[in-house]
Amino acid sequence: MNNGNYSRLVLGLLTCLALLACGKTENAQSKSAKTASAANERPIIVASNYPLFYFAGQIIGESVVGLQAEFPQIAGDPANWVPSAEQIQFMQTADLLLLNGAGYESWLAWVTLDRDHQVDTSAGFSEQLIDLDETSTHQHGPEGEHAHQGVAFTTWLDPQLAIKQAAVIEEALTALEPERAESFRANLSRLRSRLEELDHDMASTFIQLQDRAILFSHPVYQYLQHRYKLNGRSLHWEPNIEPGTSEWINLQKTLGEHPANIILWENEPLASTTARLSEMGVRSIVFRTASNRSDQGDYFDILADNIKRLRTAIN
Amino acid sequence: MSGAWYLGWRYLAFHKLKSSILIASITLMLFLPTAIRVLVSDSAAALTARADQTPLLLGAAGSPLELVLNSLYFHAGEPTTILNDTLATIQATGLGEFIPLNTRFRSRNNPIVGTTLDYFKFRDLKIADGRQFGMLGECVLGATAAAQQGVGSGDYVISSPETVFDIAGVYPLRMKVAGILEPNSSADDDAIFVDIRTSWIIQGLGHGHQDLARPAAGTAVLSSKNGMITANASLHQYPEITTDNVLEFHFHGDNSTFPLTSIIAVPPDNKSGTLLRGRYLSNNEGLQMVMPSVVLNDLLDTVFVVQNYVILGLTMLALATVAVIMLVFLLSQQLRRGEFHTLSRIGASRRYIGLLVASELTFVFVGSLLLATLLIFIMKQYALQILQGFLSF
Repeated sequence: MNNGNYSRLVLGLLTCLALLACGKTENAQSKSAKTASAANERPIIVASNYPLFYFAGQIIGESVVGLQAEFPQIAGDPANWVPSAEQIQFMQTADLLLLNGAGYESWLAWVTLDRDHQVDTSAGFSEQLIDLDETSTHQHGPEGEHAHQGVAFTTWLDPQLAIKQAAVIEEALTALEPERAESFRANLSRLRSRLEELDHDMASTFIQLQDRAILFSHPVYQYLQHRYKLNGRSLHWEPNIEPGTSEWINLQKTLGEHPANIILWENEPLASTTARLSEMGVRSIVFRTASNRSDQGDYFDILADNIKRLRTAIN
Repeated sequence: MSGAWYLGWRYLAFHKLKSSILIASITLMLFLPTAIRVLVSDSAAALTARADQTPLLLGAAGSPLELVLNSLYFHAGEPTTILNDTLATIQATGLGEFIPLNTRFRSRNNPIVGTTLDYFKFRDLKIADGRQFGMLGECVLGATAAAQQGVGSGDYVISSPETVFDIAGVYPLRMKVAGILEPNSSADDDAIFVDIRTSWIIQGLGHGHQDLARPAAGTAVLSSKNGMITANASLHQYPEITTDNVLEFHFHGDNSTFPLTSIIAVPPDNKSGTLLRGRYLSNNEGLQMVMPSVVLNDLLDTVFVVQNYVILGLTMLALATVAVIMLVFLLSQQLRRGEFHTLSRIGASRRYIGLLVASELTFVFVGSLLLATLLIFIMKQYALQILQGFLSF
């Protein structure tokens, strides 16, 4: 081995040492870049139904750049929503998951989400939740029976409860973005005023019914009934399904005990159903629950339309 | 390079075998004790890093080491359990974040770890392929577990029955692989992660079957009275949870009594940690709260004592090696008397010849030192992989 070979050997050893040392530095640099990009992202806020999404949007307002609530695209009633894998993945990224509570989100039983980010907007008034009458029980094997029961969940139809839910949303948003607290508080105050006004409008409308018997096509108006002391009874009729013979017979029986001449529907009923009800002296009125996005307008538009239709019918 | 150094270098280069044996012996003499120190200290660091990252563990009263090994490395065969209610109780203290673990089941040799999404944030586990599990019956696999099971995202793994004789016991659950985790160089690489509720379904505390109220239930209905339906043994239970049947899965019994093998407690500060430990000091509820780092340090103290004995042995071996090498050199000087005489006759001084011998020794020792340093450096880079290969943690 000559001088050249000796130099090459030493150089080779030094290169090996330098390469091994560099590997660690590159890893550390890429890690810190990733952390920086994550820090720039805005919080993700997801609501499980339209009223919560609307309230969150109103409280955030338009002044907060980049901060907005999300509401997944849901076909039909969000109460019956079965989230897809992509929607679950999206909810897992949420910094704030606004839940209606009161058993509304039945999918929580089988979906994996971060509990720390969930905000149950009705947890604060659990004593005001209305128990459902129906309970189905079954048993198999030696484990004994088990029952499925719950509480009514359309809390937002009572504006006073809606105000409480909005306040919970404001609190959660403030915890997420404390520097916007002032703006959130002011927006909540405006939303509260509008809900108070809505409450007043609904009260002044329903009071005209006095103690008149009414029917609900579906058991989703419990909080409306409780708030405005309505003399109502619920059926199990779907607006887009023709009632069967047994349903009509049961209705006859119900009308015998509860002589109603108004029935509230969640959506426009079939013309044939409306006609047959009219023949029985029962007028159909659409009173939408506003649980999902609608081309009829926002939460207040939908409820204002409900009141308008109801007033027309009453007068 | 001056003449004596060049001649020394050429001598070693000419006697390749002799030089190589000398360098290899001295390299090993230098490398072995240092390598043992590095491996032991790295394994101790790897063990304690995971333990240090886990501030507190709450589990059933008994062996603290078993609780730590089971919760950190998922090693225990059939771990003792605590009630799920314990989680609600400790959460109510508001003294930190709490992550439940249920590690009782396995799929082949891989532990199935039932937990919540908090675990992934806590251990900084990232999805490399696919997505996080999103519903009951889905799982994510550690990188090694995926390789061992030969699956990728979208494939399936099946939970193993606890014993082959458990015919009437727990049904194996076929779980969809939602994603694969990035390698983490920890016990998480070997694990299969599921929602804590999925681990309860594996245990048979929850199950899914056809709706007994529907006519399709047919012969599975034993009796139906006052809205209460009793099924017979022919009722078909679903072996897999899908989006089509997930709504028919349900749990029996009070879920506050469902089992957890341990709870990782992450207090925000020392005060909260001390308060938490104080709550479980009396041990009157069959619970114990341990600091994993303390438990493992006790274990490592024993390992270090053993290490010191091994290093003492190697040092004595090294001294013997040095003596043998010196002997080889002295004997080789006798054999090279003619060569030194020739050098002397052509004008080389005694000092020059001494320098020649010293240069040979220097080349051998410096070469060995460089080689040993390189080996130690390489070994340090791959120490964790080497340890994982041997110790599988």
